[in-house]
Amino acid sequence: MKKRRRDLTVMQQLARGPIDIPFLMLVVILTVIGVIMVFSASYPTAMNEGLSPTNYFFKQATFGGVGLVAMYLISKINYQTFRGLSVFVLAISIILLVLVIPFGYGRSTVGAQRWISLPIIGGFQPSEIAKVGVIMYFAARLSKRNTEKHKRLPPRHPLSGLYAWLDEKGVLEPIPYFVVLGLVAILMLMEPHMSGTILVLMGGASVLFAAGIRLYWFIGGGTAAAAGLFFIMTQTSYMATRLAIWKDPWNDGMNGRGSGFQTIQSLYAIGSGGLLGVGLGKSRQKFLYLPESENDYIFSIVCEELGFIGAAIIILLFVLLIIRGYWIAVHARDRFGALLVVGITTLTAVQVFLNIAVVTNLIPSTGISLPFFSYGGTALMIQLGEMGMVLSVSRQIPAPKQE
Amino acid sequence: MAQRKRGNRIVRQRPDRRANRTILIRSLFLMAIFGLLAFIPLFVKLWQIQISQHDYYQDLAVKQQTRDSTVTANRGTIYDSKGEVLAMSATVYDVQLSPRDLQETLETYQEKVEKAQEDGGKLPDYPEPTDQFIAENLAAILDLEVDDVLDHLQNKNSQYEIIKKKIEPEESEAVQEFITENHLSHGIYLMPTSKRYYPKGSLAAQVVGWVNPNLDNQGAYGLEAQFESILSGQTGRVVTAKDGVGTELLYRFEDYYDATDGSNLTLTIDSTIQSYCESILQEGVEQFEVQNGGFCIAMDPNTGAILGWANSPSFDPNDPWDVSDPVLLQYLEDIKSGEYTKEEAYQKALAEGASTEEAYEDAVSAAETEVLTTQWTNRAVRLSYEPGSTFKCMVLAAALEEGVVSESDHFYCSGSVAVEGWNGPPIRCSDRDGHGDQDLAKAVANSCNPAFIAIGQKLGAEKFYDYLEDFGFLEPTNIDMQGEPTGGGQIIWSRESFTNVNLATASFGQRFQVTPLQLITAASSVVNGGHLMQPYVVSQITDADGNVLQHTEPTEVRQVISEQTSERCRAILEKVVDGGTGKNAAVEGYRIGGKTGSSETTEDDRTIVSFLGFAPADDPQVVILLAYDNPKPAYPGGNTTAGGWYISGGNMAAIKAGELLEKILDYLGVEKSYSATADVLVPNLTGLNLADATSALKKNNLSIRVVGDGDTVTGQIPANGASIPGGSEVVVYMGAEVPTDQVTVPNLDGLSMDQAKEKLSALGLYLKATGATEYGANLVAYDQSIAAGTSVDRGTTIEVRFTDSTASGAGL
Repeated sequence: MKKRRRDLTVMQQLARGPIDIPFLMLVVILTVIGVIMVFSASYPTAMNEGLSPTNYFFKQATFGGVGLVAMYLISKINYQTFRGLSVFVLAISIILLVLVIPFGYGRSTVGAQRWISLPIIGGFQPSEIAKVGVIMYFAARLSKRNTEKHKRLPPRHPLSGLYAWLDEKGVLEPIPYFVVLGLVAILMLMEPHMSGTILVLMGGASVLFAAGIRLYWFIGGGTAAAAGLFFIMTQTSYMATRLAIWKDPWNDGMNGRGSGFQTIQSLYAIGSGGLLGVGLGKSRQKFLYLPESENDYIFSIVCEELGFIGAAIIILLFVLLIIRGYWIAVHARDRFGALLVVGITTLTAVQVFLNIAVVTNLIPSTGISLPFFSYGGTALMIQLGEMGMVLSVSRQIPAPKQE
Repeated sequence: MAQRKRGNRIVRQRPDRRANRTILIRSLFLMAIFGLLAFIPLFVKLWQIQISQHDYYQDLAVKQQTRDSTVTANRGTIYDSKGEVLAMSATVYDVQLSPRDLQETLETYQEKVEKAQEDGGKLPDYPEPTDQFIAENLAAILDLEVDDVLDHLQNKNSQYEIIKKKIEPEESEAVQEFITENHLSHGIYLMPTSKRYYPKGSLAAQVVGWVNPNLDNQGAYGLEAQFESILSGQTGRVVTAKDGVGTELLYRFEDYYDATDGSNLTLTIDSTIQSYCESILQEGVEQFEVQNGGFCIAMDPNTGAILGWANSPSFDPNDPWDVSDPVLLQYLEDIKSGEYTKEEAYQKALAEGASTEEAYEDAVSAAETEVLTTQWTNRAVRLSYEPGSTFKCMVLAAALEEGVVSESDHFYCSGSVAVEGWNGPPIRCSDRDGHGDQDLAKAVANSCNPAFIAIGQKLGAEKFYDYLEDFGFLEPTNIDMQGEPTGGGQIIWSRESFTNVNLATASFGQRFQVTPLQLITAASSVVNGGHLMQPYVVSQITDADGNVLQHTEPTEVRQVISEQTSERCRAILEKVVDGGTGKNAAVEGYRIGGKTGSSETTEDDRTIVSFLGFAPADDPQVVILLAYDNPKPAYPGGNTTAGGWYISGGNMAAIKAGELLEKILDYLGVEKSYSATADVLVPNLTGLNLADATSALKKNNLSIRVVGDGDTVTGQIPANGASIPGGSEVVVYMGAEVPTDQVTVPNLDGLSMDQAKEKLSALGLYLKATGATEYGANLVAYDQSIAAGTSVDRGTTIEVRFTDSTASGAGL
């Protein structure tokens, strides 16, 4: 049999470049530690639910394994392909976000309609896809912003001067992005999904920022966000109680057994850890004290079992991953690659930061999972998929010039 | 590079240095923020929680994660000298509710119901665990008020509501069943704890004491209190991990601090001797209409070990607040029905302006408290009394030891004596007419006060006081028993104020007080060879595994008198029982020594009659001190009780003491030394000729009466092997028919010994005399072993107890 062969295109050759080993290793290490920690943190919950102690562990390990393979396969894809895909991903995620409102579930468990069940894939949060979708789409569009033809109003139009001026000052440029972000944010707030919204906004904003959107937008946006936050915190009763609990978790009207309970239990877990921790697998707080111990609050269990040293090492691994992510971004072969990696890296960084800040009660609690650690198969797969994209970009980094 | 056609222009996406620079700078900016700066506060916060506040959070966490329960140590057992259990502990249960846990159980139930209704599944097959449901059922099982249980259940945040303590096994089984049937194991708990049992009830109640179940089973009285730390052991702890819903994680984080079980006490007290002491004491109390109870101590004079120690009135330590003594009940009844006005509390309450009803309540509750204190108190160690004539033992011993008197000395008693320095009427002897001339032994036997005053004078105040000290009357005996006053409890003159008049009254045991324990301890030294022993009741302490922790060796405090003096005292004191004032204590076959006593008190008509006895007189194995406090005279100022008993130690205590000593000596296996009338066994005479039969009987100290004229013996009464008093007549039938009919036992009350013997032998019955059997014509029968009117076989021996109605008078 004669095999048809043809030469690789330049693109294909580039896509076969060496993967970024440090980033890959960090992802693999974090995933492995994460899966182990899920085992440790989840077995009391599993047993309490009448399941096998390894139930959650096996599921998570399976998703982790599949996710790592998927990551590798995605890293093999020439990331230029994602440019074209980005519109579809965004469109699909918006459709899913719309569908989750009538067809989703989760209201009975967490009080918000965040999950949707799809054939084969199973249940997952459309917001996870929306995050990637927004970043991909923004990266794809913004990478071309310098060459994009600026739209002009007909010269006779009464506002054409103003328009031209606004365009000149970069006022008009981000508006389409804001529309997309706004749409996604509104859809997610309808679930409601506050933390997801924050992540999408942060992810999108980071791409906009890196792409060079005028700084005043961010200063203004930041000011507006701060003002809004301040208003919500001080003027609404919902946030007021949250703030009170944040300041003193025992002051929840039920002596620490009400809404402050989870925070208190988290602090107990972290505090019990001390410098060296109680030992892997020896957490006590996971025995039905700390709700969501295998999920949003898994880092508390990490702190308890591995101590300050272990927790610090894990945070350092995340920091290294993030720094390496930005390193890949600044070395990326083109602007699309750079913006895509900046978006994904920032998204990961924000998620890590917010999760740990919540479990340590640094900020008021909101449900944000910890990448690679928190239990949740599809979330893990999507995260690994994102890492695959970063690795894909890393393949095309031009080799340093030989002197 | 991609080329695109845009309208009419070719736009080439070429490297745009400015755009790339922007991306580079801004990415680096983001890296600085999210890769570095953002994580600094996280590290700071983690450091704060995990390092700075580690202890704080760990304490709180451990507190919620663990269940710290105490493990009650088993309280040690108290054994008597033969290993019989006097006090022991057993496991019982407290019923503990956790309203918080029950709330969760209720919620779980309601969730199940909701779920069942949603899914159309099965509803739970047990009732909803509402507070009402739980309260009603538990109240029914435990005999409590429903409202009380509900009150406990209202404390929703509590996890520790004990609704009933130390429930009986049937109740705990019922509660357990209720828990299981209704799935209430999360919320109702049976907490094991320990309950004290006194298997022998009131036996040695004041000695053993009792524990207060309301105060964590702490020893409240007696040895239980004295040896609290040794008996109680060390409470242990179990720290178990539990999960967030309270289920114990038995396989992890368990710390067990062993409870150290309490040690066991072995007493010198012998249950049998103790029960003898108690029954004799109680019999006497009833017989002599004793109003203030009494005490009876039996001691081994050679070691100081207490063999029996009875107090009356007594109580059952299983329920120490229950008053069962008839005398005390009567007292309470009297108070309630009128005599409350005499109570101090009543007067005090009235004086403070209370209404008569309130004053009445005060008086009754004061009386109840008083009664309880009375029954719990070991009076023989705590309360002092005037020893009376029993004290003369010590005076005698001192005088003999000092050589100021000897057996050959004679004393003259005119019935009263004037004492130098005493301005009142002359001190009278019990015998108003005087004992006349008497030698030392006779003077002691007569318990002659003038003679003892003379002895005391010869001894002199200084010497006398020295002996008070030497015999231990000025110090505590240091017995290992709760309740002995630290100073000893005696009420006595100081050396400086000990005048000649004091000496005179002290010589016959009056006008000062000592505790019964001091007295019996001193008396033991008089008869045991002069060794003042430290009395003790705990012979051994063993730990829970049986290892001996402490063994009490007899401790000699000092040698008070010489062996020889002691021997002389024993001989003289034996004469007291052998024909003296204490003759009612005599027991056929045993050599008993002793001294009677009748102590006056400051109260009118209140006499404490006592007997101090020891036996065998030549080698004392046991010393007893038996006293009855306040036999009720038939009329105010009377000398006898309504039952006709002359109120004196010799006529009351001595009789009972004789019985007691006989029982104790029998029990101790001391052989009786038989005299002429001692019991002998009737030999088998059948088939013998007259001569052989006669000699066979003679050999056994029996005489013969022949009926019939045959050659050989064909029958005999009593039968072969019967035990009859020596010297009795055996009827031998030689060919004649042996009568087989029964005879009726006659009433012998009030008869003299001869009369009784005659009456019995007429019926073919034998007399066995006990009590004061040898002393003159004043003996009268007062008790017989087979009641009058009973039909018995011919040849049966009837045991008759005699008393000497003239044995002693007051003040002896």
